[in-house]
Amino acid sequence: MIEVKQLSKSFKDIQALDKLTFSAPDGKITGLLGPNGAGKTTCLRIIYGLLQAQSGEALINQIDANQDPINARRQIGIFPDKFGLYERLTVREQLTYFAALHNLSGDHLEQRVNKVIEQLDMQSLSDRRSAGFSQGQRMKVALAQSLVHDPKHLILDEPSRGLDVMSTRILRDILREQRQQGTCILFSSHVMQEVAALCDRVVVMANGRVAAEGTPEELCEMTGESALEEAFVKIIGSDEGIAA
Amino acid sequence: MSKIVTIWRKEFRDALRDKRSVLAAMSYAFFGPMLMAVAFFFLINQLTDPSDVEITIDGKQHAPQLVEHLKTQGVVQRQEPWPDTVNPIKLTIPESWDQQLKSAEPVTVILRADWSAQKQQTEIKRVERAVQSYAAKVTNYRLLLRGLDPRVVQPINLSKQDVATRGSKAALIMGSVLVFILLSVFWSGMNVAIDISAGERERNSLELLLSQPLSTESIVWGKTLAAASFAIFGGALSLILIPVIFQFVPLQEIGMSVEFSAFMIILMFVLLIPLALLATTLQLFVSFRAKNFKEAQTYISFLLIIPMAASFGVEFARLKTPILYYLPLTGQHQAFLSLIRGEAVNWFGIGVSALTTLVFAYLLALFISRMLNSEKTVFGL
Repeated sequence: MIEVKQLSKSFKDIQALDKLTFSAPDGKITGLLGPNGAGKTTCLRIIYGLLQAQSGEALINQIDANQDPINARRQIGIFPDKFGLYERLTVREQLTYFAALHNLSGDHLEQRVNKVIEQLDMQSLSDRRSAGFSQGQRMKVALAQSLVHDPKHLILDEPSRGLDVMSTRILRDILREQRQQGTCILFSSHVMQEVAALCDRVVVMANGRVAAEGTPEELCEMTGESALEEAFVKIIGSDEGIAA
Repeated sequence: MSKIVTIWRKEFRDALRDKRSVLAAMSYAFFGPMLMAVAFFFLINQLTDPSDVEITIDGKQHAPQLVEHLKTQGVVQRQEPWPDTVNPIKLTIPESWDQQLKSAEPVTVILRADWSAQKQQTEIKRVERAVQSYAAKVTNYRLLLRGLDPRVVQPINLSKQDVATRGSKAALIMGSVLVFILLSVFWSGMNVAIDISAGERERNSLELLLSQPLSTESIVWGKTLAAASFAIFGGALSLILIPVIFQFVPLQEIGMSVEFSAFMIILMFVLLIPLALLATTLQLFVSFRAKNFKEAQTYISFLLIIPMAASFGVEFARLKTPILYYLPLTGQHQAFLSLIRGEAVNWFGIGVSALTTLVFAYLLALFISRMLNSEKTVFGL
């Protein structure tokens, strides 16, 4: 369970988050939908403790990452905004590295690494260095990295950016699989189709605030529109920064 | 603790696969001593040039005995013409030589040359000395003929006794070699330090690393140890190579001897370890503040001037204050100097300087850890 309560954050004179409040329950996929610059990445960075909130709190399993970042981060797998792979390491070495940083060791570590490689169907890639990987292959490595320690919470920042149809499908399948296992999944996106196809709950963000919250159907009902895209535009009041 | 080892191992493996880092660490330690040895080789050859000095002698026929004397001193008539790039050295003997000598008047012999020409210095000096020794011979004859002891015109016999030991003479030349060894720890780990800090940021992996469940202290120490391993490796390589390469330089021809005992090399190596840690933390500090690899490189090349200025400054200004024994860098430098001169080693100074070096490195690492916790540094806000 990820809970965001009254979160505020400003950079110099720009108010990035303004008393943001929402929650992402276990076993559900929660989509954080908003135009570019709505404060999605800032919100996620506060959740995993890279940025300090000015007021309010963000709890992962009741732990505030601003107070106890190490314990909070043990609960989550992160697929960051920009991910750079270690191009001189093989996939297996990278996964082993991140697993070790999450306190895994010995046989258990090896089992987990093998498990995610299998889960993402990366056997043929696993002992290759990641230099020269395609965007889809890179996404798989980054996703495997976030899953290797079997986290109860998964946070993804625009995971489908730059992916082709096949890679997007793999990503969705993996997320649904994780939901089955009761993982709490929070992911940000500005792509409407994806949110509509995947999310159980949608939190629409604009200007650092929650503009609306609910299932995709509820949002459509709320605005009296039949398509989520129209509902969305109505909710945030403009169509700036939205990809269909 | 185990996190530090995890980071260290990963960064070390990563760096080992980076050809640029490995090459940078090796090339300085390898080509540097080589270059120095070649320079010394030529310097020594020039200093101990035993061949005849060839000059133009005008009016040879007027003073055959003088010419004969010059020849015994290795100063002879030049056969080939002077090249355009060299100023001729020309000795002119006047026609009146015989007559003036007979009537005991001073004979004016002209030596024409360019005294500022660095390369001709020894040749000109040899000609001067040869002419003067002939003059002294004539003086002696004259005094003897007049029934005087020639010693009356030599009231003082200045006896030069060089007390420079072979080792301390060598220290002069080896001083620059020592500076070189000290700097090797700054050079060798540099590329790795940039790669794992500014490089990590440039490749967009820094944010993910900082979001992992470990303290920034562990990250900084792991990275410091990885880059310091390269620095220490470079230092060790130059420590091993320098004695080997200097065996081929004929230092004994200018009355020098350099001996690197195993004890000395091991002690130097131990002294380099804290320095390598300090060098690495300094480099990490600078390059974590840079946005990308290029920017970090620029900053770090400025940073390199500090140890260079410190050690060369002390070396050439012949600075002598006791504080030098206790500070980072200069402390190790002084210890190296004592070792190579064969003097007693200031153990207290070595201990204190090693400790201050470690303390500086520790404080810097702490500071970098705090820096990585600040959103300003991480996201460049």
